[in-house]
Amino acid sequence: MRTRWMAQFWRMAAMAVLAAAVAQAQAPAPKPAHTPPLYTHWINYTAANGFPAGEVYCVTVDGNRVWAGTSHGLVLIENGRIRKVFTPADGLAGRVVMSVAVDHKTGSVWAATFGGLSRYSGGQFTNYTNLSSGLANDLVYAVAVQGRYVWAATAAGVSRLNTYTGDWTIYNELNSPFEEPWAYAIAVGEGKMYFGLWGGGVLVYDLAGHYWRPYTDPDESMEIVLYRNQGLIHNIVSSVAYNPGTKMFWAGTYFGLSGYDGRDWHNYLTKDSGLVSNFINGVQSRGEMVWAATQQGLSELDTKTNTWVTYRPANWAALDAAKAKEAERGEILITGPHGRKTRLETATSLAHNYILNVAFEGRDIWVATADGLSHGILQSEREEGNHESAAKRR
Amino acid sequence: MKESWANGASTRSRWKREATLPRRVSLSAAFLVLALGVGHGIAKARGQASLPAAGNSGAPSPRYLDPSALQLSPNGRWLYVVCQNADTLLVVDTRTQQVVERVPVGRRPEGIALSPRGKTLYVSNEWSDTVSEIDTATLRTVRTLRVGSGPVGLTTDRAGKFLYAANTLGDDVSIIDLSSGKEVKRLSAGHFPEYVALSQDGKRVYVSNLLAQLAPPDDPPTSEVTVIDTAKQEVVDRVMVPGTIELRRIAQVPPAEGGYFLIPFLQPHNLIPLIQIRQDWYVSHGMAVVQPAKRAGGKARVVEILLDDVDRDYADNFGAVVTPDGREALVTASGANLVSVIDVAKLNRLLSRVPANDPGVLADRLDSARKFVVRRIPTGREPVAVVVSPDGRTAYIANRTDDSVTVIDLRTLQATSTIDLAGRETITARRRGQQLFFNARFSNQGQLACATCHPHQGFENGLAWSLETPELGRDVVENKTLLAIKDISPYKWNGANPNLATQDGPRTAMYIFRSQGFGATEVRDLVSFVQSLRLPPNPHVGPGGNLNERQELGRKIFFRDKTNDGRTIPLNERCYFCHPPQTHYTLRVVVNVGTSTSLDTNQGFKIPQLDSIYMRPPYLHNGEALTLEEIWTKYNPDDKHGVTSDMNKVQLNDLIEFLKTM
Repeated sequence: MRTRWMAQFWRMAAMAVLAAAVAQAQAPAPKPAHTPPLYTHWINYTAANGFPAGEVYCVTVDGNRVWAGTSHGLVLIENGRIRKVFTPADGLAGRVVMSVAVDHKTGSVWAATFGGLSRYSGGQFTNYTNLSSGLANDLVYAVAVQGRYVWAATAAGVSRLNTYTGDWTIYNELNSPFEEPWAYAIAVGEGKMYFGLWGGGVLVYDLAGHYWRPYTDPDESMEIVLYRNQGLIHNIVSSVAYNPGTKMFWAGTYFGLSGYDGRDWHNYLTKDSGLVSNFINGVQSRGEMVWAATQQGLSELDTKTNTWVTYRPANWAALDAAKAKEAERGEILITGPHGRKTRLETATSLAHNYILNVAFEGRDIWVATADGLSHGILQSEREEGNHESAAKRR
Repeated sequence: MKESWANGASTRSRWKREATLPRRVSLSAAFLVLALGVGHGIAKARGQASLPAAGNSGAPSPRYLDPSALQLSPNGRWLYVVCQNADTLLVVDTRTQQVVERVPVGRRPEGIALSPRGKTLYVSNEWSDTVSEIDTATLRTVRTLRVGSGPVGLTTDRAGKFLYAANTLGDDVSIIDLSSGKEVKRLSAGHFPEYVALSQDGKRVYVSNLLAQLAPPDDPPTSEVTVIDTAKQEVVDRVMVPGTIELRRIAQVPPAEGGYFLIPFLQPHNLIPLIQIRQDWYVSHGMAVVQPAKRAGGKARVVEILLDDVDRDYADNFGAVVTPDGREALVTASGANLVSVIDVAKLNRLLSRVPANDPGVLADRLDSARKFVVRRIPTGREPVAVVVSPDGRTAYIANRTDDSVTVIDLRTLQATSTIDLAGRETITARRRGQQLFFNARFSNQGQLACATCHPHQGFENGLAWSLETPELGRDVVENKTLLAIKDISPYKWNGANPNLATQDGPRTAMYIFRSQGFGATEVRDLVSFVQSLRLPPNPHVGPGGNLNERQELGRKIFFRDKTNDGRTIPLNERCYFCHPPQTHYTLRVVVNVGTSTSLDTNQGFKIPQLDSIYMRPPYLHNGEALTLEEIWTKYNPDDKHGVTSDMNKVQLNDLIEFLKTM
């Protein structure tokens, strides 16, 4: 009798240990204190489940719709399902879609393509090209909606379309302080427009005063930073973002991250921060947070605590070296304010470590990568609480 | 001869009292109105009409009225008549069939809508870019609302909180928040959106576009019905009606009868060499049956049905209405001076036989109309709008070039009377010409009027036509505007017609009407009318005619004599040489600017005038330049059409900004 009871006890104990081990394997490891909420679950849209293969250059959230610009067309995801992949056969101006902007007032969707600018409205595309309209160039890298105006960053300057009158205005080196006309990025600020120029720094246009203010690297073309926090970190600007909460604009460059609050610059490099790579393709900012889409992962900065979190596939090196086809488990790198690093793993991962841009859907994040689109779901509070309890127990 | 209203001694206040009756009905006032009405009837019967016909003057209107839109009050007592040429809204008492009030509105009013409770009228003023908001109780304009360019069609939403205005020149729809009176949104429509209708469930606003989508000249035209979701205030669908232009007014059949929309259209057969068409069929006239999508995100279904008969056309369908019980639909043929009465049940039987996978099966059948058109009722000249009384017993039809309203008893399907709106008494040559312009009876089988290809009072239809060469695809030329062409002879793209009389007389008879055409007096009258046609105000020109900075830069480019690198541009290669401002920007001669193709017999074409060029795409003689930019970016490779290859894109944009101010 006693023997049978002992055997049952040991069997249950073994099952409990096993269950705990499984739970440990499925959930991410505990995170350090003051770490922002983590994205611990990723749903990927890749060629494996019907998404166009290759690069996803941009992602934009519009209610329950998600628009993704890819190297093979414009993808519409509705309620988590791929609804349609629009290509030039559907009327899209170009196959390669670099940027998407939704006019929340009219519902029109604007797509910046390498064949011109497209407007999608009522199920139909209307295209604007260099030959058929006042668009400066058909290589359109970014598009933004500002009231009745649509702004397009092109390889030959910035174009502005007045949707009420149909008038086009071009801003380039002929009429504005563009050191380089090759415009890569646009952000709409409060009374200002921000433009990221490839080699020309950041140009800011005051909408009321109709004047320009350039921001360039005080080190000019040197690829080292002589004067830290004294200006834009580099003139090759790939992306810009404006945060209405903090009134700061952020610039992602190929040599680091810059933020400007109107008085001071806040620059970040890999060597002295948690930024995973200085090669930045995209930048976004909301609340106290800044996200840098880099070639080696997605880095997130909590400006309040100076804590960095980076997401990337655990097998990122194999993906980079083309030794692996798919991301497997995920990796979270946390760099605390004093440089202390913590590494966690998740069962799911970003589709790729080469990140091009991000967008937000409530608490969720959408990430454009070099090989698919990823939907990141924030760690639930319950899940977070369990991990913190576990951390305390240790 | 119109009756004289000059004997009327009534004052404005008296008519205002009548007009306020809907709000302040009292027994004594009602009795007074009844007495007045009887009195008017008696006076009219005696030839002693007593109504003041021109505001306070009591005299007939010094201008023709051109009633262009109608609206009935919710109780059917008052008929509101928008008078396009008189900048006036008339109020007609439907019991006495008399004009009881004239309300001044903006320039060239075109459209009308009534608030859901009937307390407010909205009248679009096409040449003022405004909407007059009128209190139906006091008949006073309480606000003037700013909208986009060239507003025509209007509707409110079901709650009466927002107003939708179709802006013809802006190719868009303004949405006005009626609590603030401010425009809150402007949605892109198709090309020249003209009329709008709120669906009976209040969920959608349908917008018909007069002109086809811009497309290469050898593409069949496709017109758009723009569909706006009233909850989201967004365009949710663009329904394509292939092979058509000139979509007109919109009527909806009640849900129990099918719930579809009827939209009159024109089918142009412009790609067939007209000279090869022996008898008929340059154009056909019909209507689109638009069945809304059954579920969100689904596609609407379009069936095209002709209203012509095998041996007769009913040109230029325009007005459309469905009776409240859904049993009949009425579609006016503005070029045939009649209204077609459609038995909806019979139409439904025909529609039920249209295969789901072949909705275009009826699009070119001339034997359809006899299956559902139960009566063709004559009207006055140019019937352009029709409404039906709330009890479904009476239809009212606005006869634009007659200044009258035809009243039809829908039980007997007979015209019972004509309401004389008391326009200008004397009929001038210009007025006769206007009546001819819109009348298709001069063409073979009543197929088309001048207005068929020059809609919206002399505008162009945006299509290229194969007119005079019997070879497919050769010598295709773009339809030209008739607005402000008095002083730009010679005419035609080849400049072969020295004057409008030649253009409107023998040429029209031989090549287009295939009939004896107009007589000498009629040609003179017609020319008089065409020469009177004016351009709308140009929305690209600032107050006082001042140019903005970019337009001024463009002006300098237009008048430049040196290239960017300092070379002198030969005189005859400068913009202003061929397009001198003194003569409507045309030198009025034929020149070769390198735009002819292997399909053109002629190498040179008459230099077109540039007045209001902004509103006239496509461009060049064959309409192959879909935008102003394409004239130079695609079709001026050798700098023959002005020296432009040295210009950068900023300069070209500035030049275009200036051109749009002309």
